Amino acid sequence: MPSPPVASRSAGAAAAAARRILHPSPLRPATRWATIKAATTTRTLTTSRHHLPASLSATTPTRTSSRPYHSYSHPPPPGPFTPIESLLLAAAYRHVPTHGFSPKALARGARDAGYLDISATIVPDGVFSLVQWHLVTQREALAARSAALSGDGQKGGGVASRVEALTWERLLGNAEVVGQWQEALAIMAQPSYVPASVKELAMLVDEIWFLAGDVAVDPTWYTKRASLSAIYAAAELFMTNDRSPGFHDTRDFLRRRLEEASEIGNLARSVREWLSFTTSASTNVLRSKGVQI
Amino acid sequence: MAVRPAQFRRALLQTPSRLRQQNTIQHSHPELQHLLSAASSPARLFSSTVTARALNTPDYAVPNPSRPTHFGFQTVTEAEKIERVATVFTSVAESYDRMNDLMSFGWHRIWKDHFVSSLNPGFSPLASGLDPRAPQHILDIAGGTGDIAFRMLHTAHIVNANPDVRVTISDINPAMLTVGKQRSTLLPASQQAALSFVEANAEDLTRTTPLSSPGTANPPTSAIPSASVDLYTVAFGIRNFSNIPAALREAYRVLKPGGVFACLEFSKADAHPLFNTLYKEWSFRAIPLIGQLVAGDRDSYQYLVESIEKFPSQADFRDMIIDAGFVVGGQGYEDLTGGVAAIHKGMKPRA
Amino acid sequence: MLVLRYKKYEHAATPAPPSSNNSSTNPPQKLKPLTPSQTSFLSSALRVNQAGELAATLIYTAQTPPVVRREPHLRPLMAHMYEQEAAHLATFNALLARHRVRPTALYPLWSILATGLGWSTAVLGREAAMACTEAVETEIGGHYNGQIRQLLEMVAGWEAEGYDVGDEFRELIGTLRRIRDEELEHLDHAVEHDAQKAEPHWLLTGAIRAGCRGAIWVSERV
Repeated sequence: MPSPPVASRSAGAAAAAARRILHPSPLRPATRWATIKAATTTRTLTTSRHHLPASLSATTPTRTSSRPYHSYSHPPPPGPFTPIESLLLAAAYRHVPTHGFSPKALARGARDAGYLDISATIVPDGVFSLVQWHLVTQREALAARSAALSGDGQKGGGVASRVEALTWERLLGNAEVVGQWQEALAIMAQPSYVPASVKELAMLVDEIWFLAGDVAVDPTWYTKRASLSAIYAAAELFMTNDRSPGFHDTRDFLRRRLEEASEIGNLARSVREWLSFTTSASTNVLRSKGVQI
Repeated sequence: MAVRPAQFRRALLQTPSRLRQQNTIQHSHPELQHLLSAASSPARLFSSTVTARALNTPDYAVPNPSRPTHFGFQTVTEAEKIERVATVFTSVAESYDRMNDLMSFGWHRIWKDHFVSSLNPGFSPLASGLDPRAPQHILDIAGGTGDIAFRMLHTAHIVNANPDVRVTISDINPAMLTVGKQRSTLLPASQQAALSFVEANAEDLTRTTPLSSPGTANPPTSAIPSASVDLYTVAFGIRNFSNIPAALREAYRVLKPGGVFACLEFSKADAHPLFNTLYKEWSFRAIPLIGQLVAGDRDSYQYLVESIEKFPSQADFRDMIIDAGFVVGGQGYEDLTGGVAAIHKGMKPRA
Repeated sequence: MLVLRYKKYEHAATPAPPSSNNSSTNPPQKLKPLTPSQTSFLSSALRVNQAGELAATLIYTAQTPPVVRREPHLRPLMAHMYEQEAAHLATFNALLARHRVRPTALYPLWSILATGLGWSTAVLGREAAMACTEAVETEIGGHYNGQIRQLLEMVAGWEAEGYDVGDEFRELIGTLRRIRDEELEHLDHAVEHDAQKAEPHWLLTGAIRAGCRGAIWVSERV
């Protein structure tokens, strides 16, 4: 265990250093701790008259599960759906290709799950929850498909080709519901659902870049995700009108957009490099001429 | 002929002690006679023989006439609360709509419309003609004047074209039921046929009495059977119950597995502090004053505003719903107008 | 579980996560799920740390030519401090990538400000440059102390509730301690090289420390 630095030099410096270590800057406000402590206590149902498994009676802390910090050893946080919602939405999802993202699909799903038609109304956002179910399950399925892809001999080609492959995989996930997708986009565009929809798109592109092996944590983190969001949204929309076999028109569209984005990225990088080289070169030249900078 | 609310109040406030001495009161107005005799025996409204309850019902969920509860900001026993709530609602029954309009600037109509459309009663995913429509039984609790029930019938019979939906309106207060019954005469005949009015205490739905016209003999009590209701709704009523956990457990009993409990109620607007401050100022200062000026009944409005304040927050009420055995989706509630009102929904799970 | 390849940062990265068919003889650990406030604390802490190390690296890069031109004997010291800061930056870059934490959105702004700060204090003189280092390292040292203390409280909370504490957090605390100690070592070097003699000392260090606190506050959120 490392010990505090030994104050072996001049007495003034030692005293000053010791003072700094003993009186560091104040902690974050106590409220943060209160919230952490409060959040760690769990509500116990001591008097529930039906011993429901805790699995069915959970509530979601937040509607969209954003994970600012991903832990590998700790259990993952609860997803955006409570167990009963997952049950109802999974059953309703099977009816989406025929009935669309509609109350009909929800009611049929509730019947399939053994409940009543009206049971579907406990899903908080109605048909938007069904759309969100599709988005979340497709996004979470990417990790498994990515493992399969990288085991498939896709090792070469680098991050860019893996991004294209993963984005294509995700687009193919829309294949079954593509006939209903324009309706789903209209549902997502309703003002009260726009924040959640945008958040889902952001989580999707973050997932794609992460699974493709991107480790950059400089401003390109933002530009990459922004550009991929735009490309993905455009490709998804293109796909709703694509009648080509195997959606190969969409695939070409995606490839062209990604190439354009990488060209722009290369251009930006070149400009940045040129600027930084010119600045440092001219500074060095001036210094060599004796200018005191 | 409508009796002025102030007359009701004065008459009722004078009756309790005398009623304990005599069983009958003579009064000229037949409606008031009927209502006085009903209001005269609050003990009748508690089931003296407690129906068989599950062994593990917690103590606080069993109605107990002498347990303290709150009536606005005052502490009273559960028995007394029932009496006093009866007083309040009997006196405001005629002007109930006006009272709601004043308290919410007319917005309660929007809330009720949204409540009913989000439940979409009578909706069936099967196309008509292929299969008979699934019948639905809706129980509207504390819905005496019929606001919610009429909207439910319209949505089910007209919008969803499902004639197999029937609605039972239950209220503890016969005056409110009478108002609802009068209003229902304006509905189409098919909707009226699907409507029934019963008098019951939501904490014990095994003793319900159909609403009777004045002068007829007391009709027999019957029970709402367990697992017989598809949708149990209560709008702006549950905060007046003297024992909310008992009512929730009764709701659980009467609902079918998969049945939905839906509650529309005033709630906490704490999420928006500035708006909340303005709202509280309006509630506590202006509303009783308006009640005094418009309806001549400051105390009832004061009680109503205080009862909103005493009602648990959205999350606490959601926890009570879960405690009664329901499962919820998402947060379990939906805030309306920044939290001024909230819709709580729960579903009875399959065994 | 994916095995992530971080060949570039292997010297600084934490080990890859155990794969699902890991035939470990350790019994499965009982770890508590992280609460939303804990994950947001961790992400903002790592984000601020990366921003701080980025700023420190750029400060040293900008300070080195003017200072070394006047006092060539300081070259080894400046090089040593720069290397340590660069290693810290690489550590936090790896941690951010691994734990999927986003970097601060004001990255370009901090880069420009840090370069400007480093260059301007170096042009004012060696004492001013050292005073700048002293101010920055004081703030950063205290900041790391606060983070370590919060992490230790989290760990103590878990242990009190009977949960295990995984390697992830023990290593994180160890890393932060090591880095904090190296920062305080830089502080000592700066003071040793007459940071206190800069004129006006109180204004320089006061302004720089206030700027650091502001930058920390903003980076935690944006």
